[in-house]
Amino acid sequence: MAPPASKRRKTTHLDSGQESDGASFASFGGSDDAADEVETDGEEQELVSDDGMDSGLGNLSEEQSEDGDDGEEDAVPDNDKSGLEAQHSKQMQQKKADRPHSRSNASTIDAGSSAYTAGTFKSNIFKLQVDELLEQIRPRQGQREKQAEETLHVLKKCIEQLPARGALPVDQAERKLLSSKIAIPFPDPRPPRDARYKLEYAKPPSINVVGSHVLKTSSRKRDALEVDMLVQMPSQILQEKDFMNYRYFYKRAYYLACLAEGLKTSKVTSQYRVQYELLHGDQLKPVISVSPKSDEQNKDAKPARRWKIFIVPAVAPDAFPADKLLPGRNCVRSQSEDAQDPTPFYNASLRADMLLAPYLKLLHGAATSCAAYRDACLLGSMWLRQRDLDSSITKGGFGNFEWGALIALMLQGGGAGGKPILSPGYSSYQLLKAALQMLATRDLSKHALVIGDDSKSAALTLVSHPAIWDATRSHNVLYKVSAWSWQILRQEAVSTLSMLGDQLFDGFNTAFITNSSGPLYRYDHIAEIVLPAKANKGDLLKMLYDVLRRGLGDRVRLVNLIWSPTPAWSLGSSVPSSQATSSVKVGMVVNPDTVNRTVDLGPPAQEKAEAASFRKFWGELAELRRFKDGSILESIVWDTRGGASILQQIVQALLLRHFGEVSANTLKFAGDEYVNMLRHRDNKEPFQALQEAYKQLESDIRSLDDLPLTIRQIMPADAQLRNASLTPPALPKQSPEPANITLQFEGSARWPDDLVAIQRTKIAFLLKIGESLSDANDSITSRIGLENEQADTLNQAFLDVIYDSGVAFRLRIHHDREQTLLERQLKDKSVDPKSKELAAVGLAMFKRDYVRTPAHTQAVARLCNKYPALSGAMRLTKKWFASHLLANHFAEEVVELMTLRTFTQPWPYQTPSSATVGFLRTLRWLSKWDWRSDPLIVDLSGSCELKQQDARGIQTRFEAWRKLDPAMNRVCLFVASNVDPEGSTYTDGKPAKVVAGRATALAKAACDEAESKGFDLEPTALFSSPLEDFDIVLHLNPQTVGGAQGRKQKPVFKNLELATLDDTSTIGFEPAASFVEELERTYGHAVLFFHGSKERSVVTGLWSPQTAPRSWKVNLAYSSIAMEGKGGEDVQAVANKQAMLSEMARLGGELVKTIQVNR
Amino acid sequence: MVPMAEQRIAKSVKAFVTLPLQVPPQQSFQKETTHYLYICQNAPKVPTQDTPRELFLVNIPIDTTESHIKSIFANRLGGARVESVAFEGARTGKGITAPVAPVQKQQGRKRKRAQTGEGEGEGTVADEEVGLLPETWDRELHGSGSTAIATFVDRANAELAMKETRKAAKGDRAVRWPSEADLKTTAPPSLGIPRYLAHHRLRHPSHAELQQSVDGYMAAFAAQEAHRAQLLARQRQEPDADGFITVTRGGRNGPAREEETRAREEELKRRERNRVKDDFYRFQTRERKKEEAKDLVREFEEDRRKVEELRRRRGKVRPE
Repeated sequence: MAPPASKRRKTTHLDSGQESDGASFASFGGSDDAADEVETDGEEQELVSDDGMDSGLGNLSEEQSEDGDDGEEDAVPDNDKSGLEAQHSKQMQQKKADRPHSRSNASTIDAGSSAYTAGTFKSNIFKLQVDELLEQIRPRQGQREKQAEETLHVLKKCIEQLPARGALPVDQAERKLLSSKIAIPFPDPRPPRDARYKLEYAKPPSINVVGSHVLKTSSRKRDALEVDMLVQMPSQILQEKDFMNYRYFYKRAYYLACLAEGLKTSKVTSQYRVQYELLHGDQLKPVISVSPKSDEQNKDAKPARRWKIFIVPAVAPDAFPADKLLPGRNCVRSQSEDAQDPTPFYNASLRADMLLAPYLKLLHGAATSCAAYRDACLLGSMWLRQRDLDSSITKGGFGNFEWGALIALMLQGGGAGGKPILSPGYSSYQLLKAALQMLATRDLSKHALVIGDDSKSAALTLVSHPAIWDATRSHNVLYKVSAWSWQILRQEAVSTLSMLGDQLFDGFNTAFITNSSGPLYRYDHIAEIVLPAKANKGDLLKMLYDVLRRGLGDRVRLVNLIWSPTPAWSLGSSVPSSQATSSVKVGMVVNPDTVNRTVDLGPPAQEKAEAASFRKFWGELAELRRFKDGSILESIVWDTRGGASILQQIVQALLLRHFGEVSANTLKFAGDEYVNMLRHRDNKEPFQALQEAYKQLESDIRSLDDLPLTIRQIMPADAQLRNASLTPPALPKQSPEPANITLQFEGSARWPDDLVAIQRTKIAFLLKIGESLSDANDSITSRIGLENEQADTLNQAFLDVIYDSGVAFRLRIHHDREQTLLERQLKDKSVDPKSKELAAVGLAMFKRDYVRTPAHTQAVARLCNKYPALSGAMRLTKKWFASHLLANHFAEEVVELMTLRTFTQPWPYQTPSSATVGFLRTLRWLSKWDWRSDPLIVDLSGSCELKQQDARGIQTRFEAWRKLDPAMNRVCLFVASNVDPEGSTYTDGKPAKVVAGRATALAKAACDEAESKGFDLEPTALFSSPLEDFDIVLHLNPQTVGGAQGRKQKPVFKNLELATLDDTSTIGFEPAASFVEELERTYGHAVLFFHGSKERSVVTGLWSPQTAPRSWKVNLAYSSIAMEGKGGEDVQAVANKQAMLSEMARLGGELVKTIQVNR
Repeated sequence: MVPMAEQRIAKSVKAFVTLPLQVPPQQSFQKETTHYLYICQNAPKVPTQDTPRELFLVNIPIDTTESHIKSIFANRLGGARVESVAFEGARTGKGITAPVAPVQKQQGRKRKRAQTGEGEGEGTVADEEVGLLPETWDRELHGSGSTAIATFVDRANAELAMKETRKAAKGDRAVRWPSEADLKTTAPPSLGIPRYLAHHRLRHPSHAELQQSVDGYMAAFAAQEAHRAQLLARQRQEPDADGFITVTRGGRNGPAREEETRAREEELKRRERNRVKDDFYRFQTRERKKEEAKDLVREFEEDRRKVEELRRRRGKVRPE
């Protein structure tokens, strides 16, 4: 167990752990001195915490005399008494004084060496951050530790003074204790009144502090300090057969009740809050918890004050034979049945009580032999905490202890030929990664990890339960991990591993800092189910899990059951019945490819047994059907017309079949509400129809043979062509929005070498293409539209191609010579600044419209095929932006990239499998995105095409922007991808800092709402924000907002010859959008406008701070009133807000219904 | 707008006179508002012969048209007659002027200047533009707070208008903003949805019209190019007064040659580099290794700096 001394010396300089040990050792000593003054009891050092863990363990080994070498060196401080002790503590204090120096020294050595020890950590930056985190969470001796330790002394003294009690029959014992208002917390089922065995209390042979507190492997950032105090039950009060039929647990409960009574009589209960609690939610094992009284002024006490001591009764490791408690054995006999099912949980739970001390020894051995062990445990505890995993059964049954034991066991064996998997020289990061690897790659529920001699592990195969079988101690470390928790645990390990493998992404924050336990972000669907009241909750949950798993099949990837733990209860009452809390939440992660499958196929009719089982499982829903390929199968066909999704229908049907009507009728099912808010939900059909039409158009254009130049390529460049537009394209009864595409001809020397002339030539080409298309195909109408009237070097025209089927495309010509000409103009020193500015704008537009957007469109369309939930998530996110009137500030591509980040860098989760979680996680990320100092970099290739070097280049560019424009007046969000390394393509100028800040604030508010409401979150609440936030609100006529409504308005404007225009001519007519555009152009300096496109028929505005009163001048960019200055000052210009509003009303005409002025 | 009690509206500011305009309430904004127009005698840095009969208007309403200005002066301010109004930032032409004669002094393309005061007086005759693209708006908007120059028929009218304005300002007599009914036949196209509809119609001109415009432009462009080429060719041949020949672009080298030469140069450099391989000499390997080690240290320092910066920004590492 203990390594040779030389080894130990070698490890000390590597890690500062040793120093900190010494230091806290000293402080322990200090507290000990104080305690010694009060207490003269010579046996004090039995309490492990007195002398730190070393002496405690020494104590242990002394008693058990199993481990000679450890005891030898550690027993020293125990044997000599106070005289030496004082000297000792002085020494330690000396050491403590030295500590800051040595610590910093060690860390620099550490850090300096890490530059050359590549591989032991993911990256330098990761290592540095981990070091800092460890510094933060390493346990230290503070106020609450001191308080807890003082209490430990009090408790120990009190327990030691308790007198023994004679053996009593069950009901007598119970009555006697009840007279002093103490209930015996018997587990369910309670012992029969006529039981022949007797309950007894005798003085505990030892009282020890065990667990992570002693080992210093628990992080100090936890809400409460938890200390386990082990009170060993003397062997003489137990009988040989007590491991059978709960007898041990009854005796344990009685023992505990006696301890409780003792505490009560010695008035401990008046100083502290003393309650019963279930240890790790295990119904068999109640414990006493002692915590500080929360009096009134202490209600919002600092976490430093919070601590909790668990008094855990346990037995000696040799109290019962280990063979009898193997997982395959039955220890709870019932009279009726002959075949006795094994009771693995019961056995392991009992075994765990016997093994508390041996495991402490194991972990301590690991901590001394492996320098990085403690750090690995601390990191692990952080990792578990952020994923809401805990030793408690309700939280997965895998907590700090299991983590520590796993690593300790892997340091001992488990590899090929019984060799250790890990070497003690590993760094903490390597230990962490290895442990995760073990959890991720090996399905422990099928193949148990066996450490040590595996002759007995054959028993494991009988029960399919995740297992880490510790053969030396004959115990399954994972006995509390249920089938569903195992799935979660594994998935978390898998995603963390892939995250740590990502070179581009610094996984530190997502691994240890961000809390990822929120169920709304974790699960696609959450169902709340009220289970029928039944005796054994564990069995009921197991059944629910099995039923759901079988019924949902491959539609779901993960099902997790969440229920609330049994709360602590007072000493005077018996265990609260678990039926009170029979509502269970079921979190589901779906498989997006199969979740909406309408037909479930069962076994063929010939296979009688299987068919019968299928029928039995599904009841009336199962139908025998003949399929096209001739097979006759049992099957179920789900209804797709109803409002409820198929998943919900299935859950409902399963509950009805297996748990009765009550459960089925009270089912609450969440997860579909968001998608239902979208038009056409997250259906892809309209998009696919447009894609087909696009292919048709491409072939139509390519088949034109009278074009003067050959076509090089045609590229899509529109949100509709990448499944990402908020409104799905080409809905019937709605005029289509033309989808942008670009066309590039093969190079030719006959193009003019002048920007203006190029634009005119493009028009000539468009005229030609339009004419030819209409000639070649009767179903095509084409029309040329003009744009960019203000500058003739920019693109001047586009061609709208409209099919009779109702789809429309907007074609622009891409000519790459333009870029060269624009760049030349930018470099040319003789060009005047105004034209230069125009050239810069033109170049940015050229790159955006002809280079970036087509590439972006292709990449996103490809990713939409890869991730089925992506389209819906992007549309939901766009809806969110539009609902909050931010649509005119955030380019569609920016919103798409934000959503895509959630899919390509999903950590700490897996890739979202439904639009809802994709959207919610994007919001959460947005609320945390510090865009001032972090760029958004997305790899759109889906195959790691973005290399680390490129990423670094993007980062450099980002830093250059920030240096160039530190006030972020131009580029505020920096959004880059592998197809757009520039990062400012879509964010130059818009959104402004204040708008980006608002988006962040709104996202934060939404996330707070989601976190506080949880399951009861009202989806629409996320999509509304008060109009009172704005200074002015222009309510538009709802009929005029969408292009579709133009037609409804027709009769009103008959005089304007609209009647003569046919349907296709209104395509692209969007008065509201034009109105907002003109408002921005006219009042851009005075008002910041917000508009949500078609989502909300309002335009709102904020007065810019520039409109504050100032001295009058000619070129103010807003309407003003000249005011005489006070006391001979200059004439002040005050913004004439009323007049501007009146102008807006005039400009809008019927478009504006009312104008509301808030400020 | 009701001014604050202790502050009064300035009757004049600098050289400008403040003219209040009464704007009637709108359907969606039921409030009578007052707009303030600042008017003064036009005084450009380079006066032209028209300057005396011009007035400079500041802070015109965004939807002002020529007929509005004409109506205000004619009907409300003593009947001064406005000849034309030039707005700030009005769109310049987008056509092309064909070179009329080879002897023309200004070479290259010449744009029609905006009809501002300075433009008119210089005596240059604006060539007629060809190949203009069709207008897409039937009524232009002006930026908020922008300016205009009103040219009166003669100097007397301009002076009369200025006098009347002063009088109106002094007497606190607000002038009513003319409504469509006031303008009668000269009323501009209406705003709101009809205007957007008209824009939608105008921006999709008929193909024939467009074709004609493009053809006109391209023909003029070709002529201009030919003319320029001719000029350049002549420049190459004729020595100037000092006997030098100007080197000009064009000539034998086509425009594409420039890039080609550059590419060839790069290629040459690359070949030169590749002649001696990177790991031929031992010192090369040694130096590379040294470089790598240095890089590692530098990277580490950089990372450390980054973490420091993170700490500075976020404070201590704090798990949620």
